[in-house]
Amino acid sequence: MSTCAECRSFFLREDEPGQGDCVRRVVDPRQAFYQSKPVREDNDASGCESFQKK
Amino acid sequence: MVAEPAQDQSVQELEDKQEWWWVAEKKRSKRLDYLRKSVWKKGALGGNYAPGIKLDLECATLFTDMWKFWKYDPIMMRRAKAIAHVLDNKTIFITDHSQLVGYFGSLPNTIMWRVDGASMVNEEAYNEPGIMPEPENESLQKVAELNDYWAGQTAVDKVARILDPEDAVKFLSGAIGWGAPSSAYGYSGKDYEYLFAGRRGFEDIIEEINAAVENAEDKTVGVPGPEILDIYDRLQNWDAMILVLEAGIRHARRYARLARTMAENMETDEKRREELLKIAETCERVPARAPRNLQESLQYDHFIQIFARTEAHEGAWPARPDYYHGPYYDKDVNVDKTLTKEEALDLVGEFMIRAYEVGGFAPRWAREGLQGITGTWVWTLGGVNKDGSDACNDLTVAFLQAARLVRVSNPTFGFRWHPKVKDEVLRECFECIRHGLGYPSMRNDPLLIQNAMHWHGHPLEEARTWVHQACMSPCPTTKHGVQPMRMASATANCAKMVEYALHNGYDHVVGMQMGPETGDAAKFHDFEELFQAWVKQMEWLTSLLVRTVNLGRYKDPEFFGRPFLSGMSERSVESGLDVVSPVGDRGNCWVTAFTWVENIDSLAAVKKLVFDDKKYTMEQLLSALKANWDGYEEMRLDFVNNAPKWGNDDDYVDDIMLRCLRETARHSRVMKCPSGNSWPILPENVSGNIHYASIVGALPNGRRCGDALYDGGISPGPGLDKKGPSAVLKSCGKIDHVSDGRAFLLNQRLSPTQLAGEKGYQLWKAYIRTWADLGLDHVQFNMVSDETLRAAQKDPEKYSEVIVRVAGYSAHFVDISRKTQDNIIQRTVQGI
Repeated sequence: MSTCAECRSFFLREDEPGQGDCVRRVVDPRQAFYQSKPVREDNDASGCESFQKK
Repeated sequence: MVAEPAQDQSVQELEDKQEWWWVAEKKRSKRLDYLRKSVWKKGALGGNYAPGIKLDLECATLFTDMWKFWKYDPIMMRRAKAIAHVLDNKTIFITDHSQLVGYFGSLPNTIMWRVDGASMVNEEAYNEPGIMPEPENESLQKVAELNDYWAGQTAVDKVARILDPEDAVKFLSGAIGWGAPSSAYGYSGKDYEYLFAGRRGFEDIIEEINAAVENAEDKTVGVPGPEILDIYDRLQNWDAMILVLEAGIRHARRYARLARTMAENMETDEKRREELLKIAETCERVPARAPRNLQESLQYDHFIQIFARTEAHEGAWPARPDYYHGPYYDKDVNVDKTLTKEEALDLVGEFMIRAYEVGGFAPRWAREGLQGITGTWVWTLGGVNKDGSDACNDLTVAFLQAARLVRVSNPTFGFRWHPKVKDEVLRECFECIRHGLGYPSMRNDPLLIQNAMHWHGHPLEEARTWVHQACMSPCPTTKHGVQPMRMASATANCAKMVEYALHNGYDHVVGMQMGPETGDAAKFHDFEELFQAWVKQMEWLTSLLVRTVNLGRYKDPEFFGRPFLSGMSERSVESGLDVVSPVGDRGNCWVTAFTWVENIDSLAAVKKLVFDDKKYTMEQLLSALKANWDGYEEMRLDFVNNAPKWGNDDDYVDDIMLRCLRETARHSRVMKCPSGNSWPILPENVSGNIHYASIVGALPNGRRCGDALYDGGISPGPGLDKKGPSAVLKSCGKIDHVSDGRAFLLNQRLSPTQLAGEKGYQLWKAYIRTWADLGLDHVQFNMVSDETLRAAQKDPEKYSEVIVRVAGYSAHFVDISRKTQDNIIQRTVQGI
């Protein structure tokens, strides 16, 4: 099983063990941006379409 | 899509052609150009959302999950925990080139959904085509689940259950007014004096709350007595405030972390890396602590607005950015020179764009009434300091210049004019108007300060802090003056007053008895009988709306609760009361009077043609009205062309205006808000004149059911002001703009050709002097030619950036319905 911690988009938080941010580049029809969503490092990422192994 | 300007044309050529939207594109920085074009426009086009706009399900789901989990908590605490959960877990983003961050939805193209506001709105969300995120079926199922949960327990559902049933039916009929009797929708002022003048960050406020808690807790373990019993509720409220303020600090630090992650791992451009690190530093500083520079100050303000909007659907944006951020501009640009004027202009322009992109889901009636925008973000500029000296500063000028570069239709500005305003500032106002923005609206500051003191008893120094609470109404930004809830929810469709006076209170459009039975108008012997019937209908209609809103406010701390907004209020931080509680609030209510002038022109027409000239009988008139003038065209034209009309300096009709206003002002003093203060009227329309077109029946001014109503406030009917701008000003100047009501909107169209060049500015300046001398409180201008507007109707893509003043707000011309477009073109172009 892949976990979020193994993904290139995962950035561990220094102040909260086990917790991190999933940071991804998005380009929509009007603008480009980076988005961030909180995730746990041991989240199951096997169903994630954006998963990219580190 | 935005069409590109002709590359081969110079700025001068474009200016000569008055194609100001292309001028803006050529003049603004690459950053502003990117950010301006990157916005997903949330304002509905006519009444429909633009393709690509999606309902924000993430925030609604996060909120509901936590709301369900903490079901045994008091409402303030429960809401605080739900909001904190949203702020801690929603998706956040940073747009390329941006320097300011924060959006209340989870993605740039999403509209926030106030899921706990009203079941009626939730059902509309489910049924609204095109706004469900993909996969649509899953989204629909999610919305249905959320709706099932909230059905019957939203804020408005709770109020509706305890309303008088007859009041509820009539209020909700949509015929006599609009609004929601809850702080779940509406708008709140911010206690800027506490936050910005007091130089407080959230940590400072938390410290003050902790001190208040400690003091209160000492009492709960002291001598038993009735005076300590409500402390237990206050302790819960204080805890809720702390909880949501801390969540706000954490939320900002999520942005700081994202910006640092981007700078350290993704960004290759050194200049952008520095900007991202500056964003990180800014979001680590604010809102936790007071700002130190312009970027932090603007970012702090924006966070406050985003958090307030995470808590409730805010339909307005009361603010005075030049006054509260001006000292930081001065420090950065003039003293420390850490920012150039151009860099500051970029920040100011982006600050406007960040507000422009904000939008929540609104029901169809609200979208039709506010075509093209998502709320009335009228920011206040200019005015005076608390000591009465001129408050305009370099940031006032920067905002007016930035507005011409970014050309957003929201926010707009209301400029507090006073005799000490410097010529250089007034010129900047004029340039915005000349560039066709439709703003700033001009507000008569000395008069409105007096008005605020007259109606609500605000002390002079506090009255001088006033901001536009929504489109028009002045409201202080002080501890006891700030208005925490939209107490203008008593928004009245006033044309119904004369309609009901003519039909014995019966509404032929909705098919039910609405108003009191004031007698068969066919049997009225003179104008006085009709006028007295009108007075009774006016009293009934305004009283019903006010009763409903009063009840909504009284029950709001129990039914909704605003922990974040309470944490922004000195009154609440000190007392532990929900900020919506009227205790310690002076009240700043007003009844927004839509479709007001129809009453005046209709009453004048009946007086003239029926009772004075005896050209027609009341029976004939009533038959014509019941037939919607069908088969009575010659008679209708007589009522249009040969009856006196408001706005022509004609005492015959102007005296009727004064009688109507003074009767209403008398009743305004009888009706009281929960703070014990009065409910003056404020005639204006937004685009309610189009929304109500098919709801108001035929009227004696010659209008048929379905025709657009007048564009509102005290503006004369389109094309009916035939005696020039001075006559309009003289009619409006007969009104006492202090004691006859809260404020009076006046739309005027001016010729861009006549007002070109220096001569144009001098003409306009003289007009403003006359306007002020005659004692009017408001005027706003459209200065786009018929030729341009008609060309925009034919080729909307080419003219997608043309802006017009609709009513108390501006909109892109192509975003409003054809009927509203035509209504604007029909307005008389005044030569001055």
